[in-house]
Amino acid sequence: MNINAILSLLAIGAVLGAILGIANKYLIVEEDNRIGEVMEMLPGANCGGCGYPGCSGFANALVEGEAKKVSACVVSNQETREKISTYLNETPGPDGQPVKVTV
Amino acid sequence: MELVSLFIGLTFVNNVVLSKFYAVCPLLGVSKKPKNALNMGYAVTFVIFVASIVTWCLYNFVLEPLEITYLDLITFILVIASLVQFVEMFLKKTSPEIYKSMGVYLPLITTNCAVLGVALDNISAGYNLMQAAVAGLAVPIGFTIVIYVFATIRERLEIANVPESFKGTPIALITAGLMACALAGIAGLV
Repeated sequence: MNINAILSLLAIGAVLGAILGIANKYLIVEEDNRIGEVMEMLPGANCGGCGYPGCSGFANALVEGEAKKVSACVVSNQETREKISTYLNETPGPDGQPVKVTV
Repeated sequence: MELVSLFIGLTFVNNVVLSKFYAVCPLLGVSKKPKNALNMGYAVTFVIFVASIVTWCLYNFVLEPLEITYLDLITFILVIASLVQFVEMFLKKTSPEIYKSMGVYLPLITTNCAVLGVALDNISAGYNLMQAAVAGLAVPIGFTIVIYVFATIRERLEIANVPESFKGTPIALITAGLMACALAGIAGLV
């Protein structure tokens, strides 16, 4: 076992990770925080059953108004669907208007 | 003079796509529109240029003195993956349209074998830092030229009367093959 190999790989990884972390601070994109909230409420199966790439894609589509029905997410139960639709119908976005979605 | 012939050799004569057949995935994937093809070319140019310098330095100043050169693959992949991540963040911030139009092919630069190919070739050919930097510039420029030309040909093919069974990818593959044949005309020049 070569301790040098482990240490140097660790060091290279740490340096690159630090650079990326700093870059992320400066290059962060302001996202509609509803996308994150909706994503939290979705089941998180990332199955793609809704026709979007993963849960983040579906959350994005819901907030953008592209997807109108929460039930497109086949994994979610009735309770989750109602929670998401009430949240989106009641929370105004950056333009002051909530998104209209149905269960 | 040596560097110029190295540059010409790597850009045209030993073109990365048409004579070594690296990076065929983005060649077919992002060549539907010439504009996207150029953007892909710029992103790949940045990644390969920085990657070839950083990997050369890591190999010669870290891996070789410590006698752990067998770790070259994994360290190179680390560097390339971080660079691609950086390009992705940068594009997402500065131009969301380009970010959207490139879609999944942007993170896929990580697995673009041209990037790793250049990094490994620099080592196995025994280049010095200057030569590695020139190679890191010449190879992606060759890639950009080929993918742009290919995209313009494909744009023209859209309105061409292509037989039904050749429409789409088959005719694109034949086109790429013919381009490789054309390039073989200058093989062995440098």
